[in-house]
Amino acid sequence: MSTMDGYLAMTRTEFRLFRREPFAVVFVLAFPLMMMVLLAAVFGNNHADAEKMQNGMLIWRGVTPANYYTAASVAGIVAALGLITLPINLAGYRERGILRRFHASSVSASILVSSQLTLALVTFVTGTIVMAAVAWLAYNAMLPKDPVGVLVALLAGTACFGAIGLLLATAIQTSRSAQGIGLLLFFSVWLISGTAPPRAVLPAGLRAAGGVLPLTHLVTAVQNPWFGFGWSGTDLAVLAIYAVAAGVPALMLFRWD
Amino acid sequence: MAVITVEHLRKAYGRVVAVADVSFEVEAGEIFGILGPNGAGKTTMVECIQSLRNPDGGTIRVLGLDPMTQAAVLRQRIGSQLQDAALPGRLRVGEAIELFAAFAERPVDCEELLSRWRLEDQRGQAFDSLSGGQRQRLFLALAFVNSPEVVFLDELTQGLDPQARRATWELIEEIRQRGTTVVLVTHFMDEAEHLCDRVAVVDAGTLIACDTPQGLIDGLGLPSIVRFSTCEPDVAWLEKLDVVDSITRHGDAIEVRGTGPVLALVASELVAHGIVPLDLRVDRPTVEDAFLTLTGKAIRA
Repeated sequence: MSTMDGYLAMTRTEFRLFRREPFAVVFVLAFPLMMMVLLAAVFGNNHADAEKMQNGMLIWRGVTPANYYTAASVAGIVAALGLITLPINLAGYRERGILRRFHASSVSASILVSSQLTLALVTFVTGTIVMAAVAWLAYNAMLPKDPVGVLVALLAGTACFGAIGLLLATAIQTSRSAQGIGLLLFFSVWLISGTAPPRAVLPAGLRAAGGVLPLTHLVTAVQNPWFGFGWSGTDLAVLAIYAVAAGVPALMLFRWD
Repeated sequence: MAVITVEHLRKAYGRVVAVADVSFEVEAGEIFGILGPNGAGKTTMVECIQSLRNPDGGTIRVLGLDPMTQAAVLRQRIGSQLQDAALPGRLRVGEAIELFAAFAERPVDCEELLSRWRLEDQRGQAFDSLSGGQRQRLFLALAFVNSPEVVFLDELTQGLDPQARRATWELIEEIRQRGTTVVLVTHFMDEAEHLCDRVAVVDAGTLIACDTPQGLIDGLGLPSIVRFSTCEPDVAWLEKLDVVDSITRHGDAIEVRGTGPVLALVASELVAHGIVPLDLRVDRPTVEDAFLTLTGKAIRA
């Protein structure tokens, strides 16, 4: 046995389980997609909106609202999975004694977590393709100008929200509380990170609060390459810092039962 | 040679002391039972030995390894069947065995494991759809997936029907034949008596006795009871036998209590007096009797 064998076997298992119960992540994919469709329908895809200003900022970051929401909603998928699905799954595994069983058989926390994150990344890539396709068909929105840049942002987002989800799973006892806490966290973050109202229209206090949240940085990190503004090094760095700051204590404090 | 050495093991959860100063050794190739009522600290003890829990005090060596600092190496050499464990509900039996084999340095053949634990027919069945007995067999199979030198079986036959229990006992004996050391945690007296070479009796976190099942009984000098019926009014002459302690009579039914070879001596004396009862039998003291005497209470099943 090598670490690689273990990782591959665990990842294959997680994919199988996902295939047998795909609706477990339906919220994570459907909610951001639905929000993109609704918000883009409300605000439209008019080029005239691209230059609108409020509070001294471009409301839609220089693109049309439909384009703005397509890229921002992709970031929403990552946050929903990290804040809701991952803690529910891991806390449920622990509650039912699945983690105990794994632990006694040489499964390490890092293998377990990397398998979960691999599955998450594949979900994000799929979600992004669906999001881009729907926005393109429904609103004639742009496809990502720099797909590699978007992929890099998704990787950073996976690391960041994976680490936060793991930390939540460590702190929360049961999957039922994970569900409550996760939904509350997700919606609070989602409302002030530029995923719902654009940050330019937020009051200064909320904008400042949103500015420190990881989802705000993930939104920019995805939007910039999507719109062809180049990679956003600062936002990627902030996501990496969050990943380390949450991931290190989460792995150190990881509880098997 | 001792494969497990436990010295002054101590573990508390807050103010509740689960294990208080327990010491014992397990020899290579034996089936060692840890017997006690629920809540006696049995599971905590074996969890510390398997490095699933950190003890508060004492030293433990398993195969010469320290579970506190050499957990990863140790886990490759021991097998664990845990109480209250589960697998993801949609995971199938065959897949579970393959998954766990991928983490073993010396995995056994998955097909052989499936057939040994009579799981071939369940191969494609999801964990959630398995019966209690099938789950138990799957967890036993998983405990052996890494060719362990020592296996820990916590409540081995919990939830099994009598037939399945017997079959499981046979498999455990077969495993011992092949040189694997077995540590068996149980609250079933008959299981301890039937399977174990030695038994540690645990109550309220302390070890109150450690011996062979027969040694436990003999050490306590518990009486055998010989029963038979006769219409002969006077059998008081039986009391002259050294092994007999007392005789009680209810109508034709006679009960003779004593220690040692009571049955043989009583039988020959009866025959000598021309009494040949058809229902002559003996109730030997059991591990349960020893347990009751040692702990002063019945086990809560």
